[in-house]
Amino acid sequence: MSGPALRIRGLRKAFPKVIAVDGVDLEVARGEVFGLLGPNGAGKTTTLEIIEGLTSADAGEIEILGLTWERNGQEIRARFGVQLQSTSLFNKITPREALDLYGSYYPKRRGTQELLELVQLEEKADAFHVTLSGGQQQRLALALALVNDPELVFLDEPTTGLDPQARRSLWDVVRRMKGEGRTVVLTTHYMDEAEALCDRLAIMDRGQVIATGTPASLISDLAMPSVVELTFEGTAPDPAAFATRLGQVVEQRSDLWEIRTPDPKALLPRLLEAAEAVAVPFQQVHIRRATLEDVFLTRTGRSLRE
Amino acid sequence: MLWRQFAMEWRLYSRDRVAMFWTMAFPVLLLLGFGTIFRDNSGPKLSLVRVQSAVASPQDEALDRAMTDLQLKVQTLSKAEAEARWSRGETAAQLEPAGDGYRLRLNSYLMAQAGATAGLVNQAWLVAQARLSGAPEPQRIPLQVESPGHKRSTNYASFLLPGLLGLNLVSMGLFAVGMTNVTYREKGKFRRLAVTPLPKWIFLLGQVLHRLTLTVAQAALLILVGRLVFGIQNQGSFLDLLLIMTLGTGCFMAIGFALSGFADTVEGYGAIANLVFFPLMLLSGVYFTLDSAPGWLQQAVALLPLAPFLRALRAVFNDGASLAGHGLGLTIVAAWALGAFLLALRRFRWA
Repeated sequence: MSGPALRIRGLRKAFPKVIAVDGVDLEVARGEVFGLLGPNGAGKTTTLEIIEGLTSADAGEIEILGLTWERNGQEIRARFGVQLQSTSLFNKITPREALDLYGSYYPKRRGTQELLELVQLEEKADAFHVTLSGGQQQRLALALALVNDPELVFLDEPTTGLDPQARRSLWDVVRRMKGEGRTVVLTTHYMDEAEALCDRLAIMDRGQVIATGTPASLISDLAMPSVVELTFEGTAPDPAAFATRLGQVVEQRSDLWEIRTPDPKALLPRLLEAAEAVAVPFQQVHIRRATLEDVFLTRTGRSLRE
Repeated sequence: MLWRQFAMEWRLYSRDRVAMFWTMAFPVLLLLGFGTIFRDNSGPKLSLVRVQSAVASPQDEALDRAMTDLQLKVQTLSKAEAEARWSRGETAAQLEPAGDGYRLRLNSYLMAQAGATAGLVNQAWLVAQARLSGAPEPQRIPLQVESPGHKRSTNYASFLLPGLLGLNLVSMGLFAVGMTNVTYREKGKFRRLAVTPLPKWIFLLGQVLHRLTLTVAQAALLILVGRLVFGIQNQGSFLDLLLIMTLGTGCFMAIGFALSGFADTVEGYGAIANLVFFPLMLLSGVYFTLDSAPGWLQQAVALLPLAPFLRALRAVFNDGASLAGHGLGLTIVAAWALGAFLLALRRFRWA
C-alpha cells in the first residue's frame, strides 16, 4: 500500500482530426479526491478512458495502484471501480439484479443491500432500470462502481444533467467514499463541484494540463485573487474611458464590469473617484474572491462554459 | 459464472413479452397460414376456362367428358363472362369455339400453368375424337404429381417447415444478434462490461447459449404444431436435427456478429442486415425452389450458407436421410461459420 494510487507520464492520444490528449502527466495520492476540471472537449474523458483501459494511448506510461495494463489487466479491473459518462443497462433489469450480476464478476464484493442503502435506492431496488429518474440511474451507476469494494474509483462527469438536489446527494456519496479511504478520480466541468469535492485538481484545456494544485492554492496563486464587480441595470456600457481614468484593465461582461486586483481595499477609493469623474451609472459594487472560473479565464483567456 | 450470465440473459429476455411472443409465434403463424392455403396434397389443380358454344354439339359433350376424365378442372362461362375474366388476367388458358373446332388462348404471364393445361386439353381432344369415331382410345401415359426427393411427405407444409426453421436462424442471427450487438455498443453497455474482470468469452458464450436454447425451443414448437395440425413427422433422427440446427445457429450468429462490426448505428445496421437477408431468403429456397432460375444463379446460391443448410435439413427432416450424404453442404455451412467467426473477431469492437 505504498506509492501513488495513479501515476501518468507523457500520455498522448491523437484522433484523425484532433489531438485529444497532448502530453499529460498526473499523480494522484492514495485516499485523495482528485478532479480533472475543464470545458467540454478538453480531453478529460479521453484521458480517463485511456486510464480505464477502454481506449489505447499513442504514447505514455500509466501505473494504477502500482500495476500496469500490459501485465496486470485483470487485477486492475478487479481493484478499481468505474462510472462511465453514461451507463447503459438493460431496460428491464432492476437495481438489485444489476448489483447482484455485476458483483458476481468480482472476486471480492460488497453486499447488494448495503450498496442500495449507500445510494438511497432501497425503495427502487426492484423497479426496472428504465423507470428510474436520471438521478436514480446515476446513483445506481455509482453503486455499480463500488460493487467490488474498490481502492480506486473513477467517476466521469458524475453529476452532468442532474438537478441541484440530485447533485448534492451525489456529492454526499463521493464524500462518503473518501471517508472510507478510497481514492476518487473524477472529471467535471462544474467549478463549484470541483471546489466542493476535490482535494486536488488538474485543470485541462485542449488536451493539456494547464495547472495543478488544491482549489485554494490555484486561486491564491493568481496574481490578482480578488475581483471587484460593478453591476448595471441592463447591458454594461463601454468601460474604455473609465479604465483610462482608473489606470487598470476593466473587463466587460454582459451586465457588469470586472476589475481584478491583489488588494481590493486600496482599489476601492480610487475606483469610486474614477466612477464619479466619468459619471458611470453603476448600481452596485461587489467584492469577491476569485474562483476556479477566474483561474481558467486567466490562464486561457476563455471561459469554462464556452 | 457462465451459468449466471446465461440465466440472466434468459430472465431479461423473458421480460420482453411482446418480443418473445412474436419470436415464438411468427414462424408458427407462417406455417399455419401458408400450410393451409396450399394444403392440397396433389399439387395445384390445372384449370381451364371454357367458353360456352351457342348450341352444345355431341363433339362438345365428348370433349367435356374426356377433360373430366383427365381431371382437368373446367369452368364453363358465357362469352362475355369469359372475356371479362380473361382481361382481369385471372385465366391461364381459355378454350373457345372456332369454326367447326376449337382454339386455345394461353396467358403469356402464366405460361407454366397454361402450357400444362394445353397439353391436357389436346390429350382430351384426341380421346374425344377416338370415342366419337368408335376407334380405340389412344393410350395415355399416366401422370403423377409429387415433390422431388421427398419420398414420404409430399405436402407443401412439410416442405415449408424446414424452410421456416432455417429462416428463423437467419433472422435470429442477422437481426436479433447483430442488432443487439450494435445497440449494446452504441449505448455503451459493452464498455461497462469491458471495465469489469468478466472474461469476454463468458459474456459471448452466454449469449450464444441463450440463442441456441431459444432456437431449439422455437423449433420444438414449430415441429409440434406441424405434427398436430398437418401431421408432419420428423423422418430422420432428432440427434441429426439437433446437430444441423446447432451448426446453423453457430453459422448465422457468427454472420450476425461479423456484420455488426461494420455498422456504428442501429439504423446503419438495419440497412446492411436487410441487404443480406432478403437475397438470402428469396434465393435459398425457403418458400419455393429455384428450379426455373438460370443455372449460374443456382450454382451461386448453392455456395451461400442457407441453401445447403436447408437441403441437409430437409433431407433429414423430410426424407429421413442421414447426414453422411451431405458432407459437402455441411462443409460449406461450416466454412461460412468459421469465416464469419474470424471476420467477427477482426471487426468486433467493444466500444
